[in-house]
Amino acid sequence: MSESSVSSLPAAGAGRSARGTPVAVFDWLLALAVLAVLAVAARAIWYTPPEALQGEAQKIFYIHVPSAVVGLYLACPLVAIGGAMYLWLRDERLDRLAESSAEIALLFLSIVLVTGPLWGKPIWGTWWTWDARLTSTLFLWFVLVGYSVLRGAIEDRDQRARYSAVVGIMGALLVPFIHLSVDMFRTMHPQPIVLTPDAVTPGKAKLSPEMAATLKYAFLAFIVLFVALLRGRLKFAALRDRVEQLEAGDA
Amino acid sequence: MPNNASYMFIAYGAAALVLGGYVVSLVTRARAMVRRGDAIDAAGRP
Repeated sequence: MSESSVSSLPAAGAGRSARGTPVAVFDWLLALAVLAVLAVAARAIWYTPPEALQGEAQKIFYIHVPSAVVGLYLACPLVAIGGAMYLWLRDERLDRLAESSAEIALLFLSIVLVTGPLWGKPIWGTWWTWDARLTSTLFLWFVLVGYSVLRGAIEDRDQRARYSAVVGIMGALLVPFIHLSVDMFRTMHPQPIVLTPDAVTPGKAKLSPEMAATLKYAFLAFIVLFVALLRGRLKFAALRDRVEQLEAGDA
Repeated sequence: MPNNASYMFIAYGAAALVLGGYVVSLVTRARAMVRRGDAIDAAGRP
């Protein structure tokens, strides 16, 4: 490998490698996102009033709901879109988009599945119940774990991308089902209060102005966090593919 | 009003752990990948 091939490696990691290759998977955007999330957490904990019946535990809502929205409605569709577009165009960048989105979706759904029971225990009196919303979300989480395992098990790049695209598309098809599950089945999970027409109808909104503002900032912060993490994961995927090409000797 | 603030703090802490763990994991993987690239570079030099 020549000197030029070292410098052609995408920046990755943090700090510098042993040979001085600059490494920076994450940049100012992640710092901004972390600051935004911390600011939202501080506002939720110390400024936003607690809900009268649920107490302070209701404030879990400000990380649980944005994580669910980002994971289900941003990351999962990107897995399907990236996979479907790869099947059509066979462009490796689309496979990297699908792969990276799947990992970020798994991350945010993990937060949903951790914070949900921590709300359920004080409010419902149980950590978990096998109702449609919880069970289907857990099922999607397992599909995303399976997607990741599948990618690690196939060495051929095109075969790996094609198989995982199909799994990603199938997994994303669960999202509408998860969204509608609280309407289709009798469930303990609260009905939507955000993604509903009542949320923007004067006099019908179920959140106080302070709560609504905190939730709005939380959505913005988590969307910025999603973009920052996805950018970093895409840089890593590009770096890995480049190194694998160099190892295969086809650089 | 119920006294359940501990659940809120545990949830926020757990979310921070999951997010922080992921960032550390990605940076670690990227560093390892750069080392692999550097090793290829070193092996290919005269």
